[in-house]
Amino acid sequence: MISEIINVQFMHPSAYYIIGGLLIPLFKGRIRQGYMLLLSLLAFFAVVNMPHGVYGVYKFLSWELTFGNVDKLSKVFAYIFTIMGVIGVIYSLHVKNDGEHLSSFYYIGGSLGVTLAGDFLTLFLFWEIMAFSSVFLVWYRKTPSSVDSGFRYILWHVIGGLILFSGIMIHYSVSGDLSIQFLPFHGWWPTDIHSLATFLILIGFIVNAAVPPFGAWLPDAYPAATVTGAVFMSAFTTKTAVYALIRVCAGSEILIILGVVMAIYGVVYAVLENDARRLLAYHIISQVGYMVAGTGLGTQMAINGVVAHAFCHILYKSLLFMGTGSVLYVTGTAKLSELGGLYKTMPRTMIYTIIGGLAISAFPLFSGFVSKSMTVAAFGEEHIMWAFIGLMLASAGTFLHTGLKVPYFIWFGKDQGIKAQEPPWNMELAMIIGSIFCIGLGIFYKPLYALLPYPVHFEPYTAYHTWETLQILLFTQFGFFLLLKKLWCEDTISMDTDWFPRKGAKAFMWFVNKPLVSFEYNFIGEVYEFIIQKPILHMAKWFKWVDTNIVNRAFNEIANLTLLWSRMLQTIQSGQIQHYAMIMVAGVLALIVIVIILP
Amino acid sequence: MSLIDIIEKLRTKTVKKFAYGILVLLVAADFIIPRHEIHFFGDKIPGFWSLYGFISCVLIIVVSKWLGQHWLVRDEDYYDK
Repeated sequence: MISEIINVQFMHPSAYYIIGGLLIPLFKGRIRQGYMLLLSLLAFFAVVNMPHGVYGVYKFLSWELTFGNVDKLSKVFAYIFTIMGVIGVIYSLHVKNDGEHLSSFYYIGGSLGVTLAGDFLTLFLFWEIMAFSSVFLVWYRKTPSSVDSGFRYILWHVIGGLILFSGIMIHYSVSGDLSIQFLPFHGWWPTDIHSLATFLILIGFIVNAAVPPFGAWLPDAYPAATVTGAVFMSAFTTKTAVYALIRVCAGSEILIILGVVMAIYGVVYAVLENDARRLLAYHIISQVGYMVAGTGLGTQMAINGVVAHAFCHILYKSLLFMGTGSVLYVTGTAKLSELGGLYKTMPRTMIYTIIGGLAISAFPLFSGFVSKSMTVAAFGEEHIMWAFIGLMLASAGTFLHTGLKVPYFIWFGKDQGIKAQEPPWNMELAMIIGSIFCIGLGIFYKPLYALLPYPVHFEPYTAYHTWETLQILLFTQFGFFLLLKKLWCEDTISMDTDWFPRKGAKAFMWFVNKPLVSFEYNFIGEVYEFIIQKPILHMAKWFKWVDTNIVNRAFNEIANLTLLWSRMLQTIQSGQIQHYAMIMVAGVLALIVIVIILP
Repeated sequence: MSLIDIIEKLRTKTVKKFAYGILVLLVAADFIIPRHEIHFFGDKIPGFWSLYGFISCVLIIVVSKWLGQHWLVRDEDYYDK
């Protein structure tokens, strides 16, 4: 009986985060902590009870908006997003800033909204909520460099969002249908209006998936975010994009090349990186590369591998960000050149981080092994050997950095004599839960395989697979200790594709301030005066006569009204992008509420 | 015995020798591990993935460091200049 009632009930998990989250500032202390944890658990159980089907369909103007499209693919992503929600909320329980909690709640709600969206308009609305709420997780760090990074972050996402939106609009104008469809893009370049639409949608998605050359926002913003903010960010934006790519663009061949390039690109940059959290950010790019490549391949085995990998990736990557975040929280720095010898003071944090490192490196008996090997094996199965070999190379690099370099230079290396202790209980609890998942999924992988969108015919623990992986990883370790001298870190940064906008913006400002201004002032100004200004002045005199004698009185009344309106509007025009961002999010939410309430 | 003691115990020469032993064992055992699926020539050579892992590691470090020195790496205040 009870199960029947629950079965017909569809409760959108985003509602807990977006509507329930609004009440967080009303509570204080333990009650607030309990409330936040309760919301995240309720959202998880809402997903558990979610039967397959289509729910939450609302008419809005002439469109049909679908908020709840539940099938195997959306459900498995909803599972992992809500599990991550619980872990992330536990990790951030000690944070006192209400705004930070609200941002992360809206961010999670946004990604669940994208996952369950049944039409492109709903997807886009939640897509933008994610961008505008997550940027606050960067800004709340409140350092000058994080404010700058936040602005660059939001600019990348606004541009990506606009490209996505233009793709959606072209698709709508051609097909007259807004429902999310399977629209793979074939070839290199759009050839007609249909492929232009799919091309733009693909670009919009891969900006969020941090595919180079559009991925520079990720290693720029994530290490600039707050300790807890980075944990959330590492989980949601790129993986939501991977979900969208699977849903809409699976089998687009271009993604295979982009994905393999991405997997290696992230590894190369990680060698040069000194900030532990930026190093991990580059490894998100590398790992998402496996997923993007697998999505491009698009076979059932590849898609299964990608989904499983996204699931495991969220858990081990957040665990790694929690570990390095704890180091940052306790010592005030995440720079490898300033850390060392922490095993004496933070040994437990070290163990959690190493577990995350072994999981991301796909060590047998850890979660990465059961998911990454499936993605890579899918390429072997299709005999695309260059991709297979390239991804294997990236595997070695992954272990080299996250499994060896990060733990070595933080916990061993040169003892800097830093005073430290283990982080607060809630941060440690979140890391313990993450560690349990990372080991548990590596051993008991069948339940995960059962959640995947297609039936699984893959057995990870065959003798040869296991042996192949062990050989690569342990000989990488051998190489690491041989070349350890080359890996010592210095206080440097590396240029990435954001060089173009960052240096380009400077060049543009110089151009505007120097040549353009003088040209405008000296030449155009003169020409303007003789050709346009003087004749217009004559005309204007005549119009003035007409105006004062005929039109004026009627307009006076309207003008007074407009003045009143603009005074009211003036109060919300603060000129601060944070305020505009909040108003936009509020507007989007108001729109959603209106849509739901209207019959 | 505390966690720190265990970690310190693990950082001795004996453990290092043991680790080298494992490496030798890995390659040796690869001669008898059954191959259930052969995708390309490398799968037929015993110890191929050991060599591949080692070369990958060296290549990644050397190539990245070279790229860094000659092109990518800048001072921390590079963008503020």
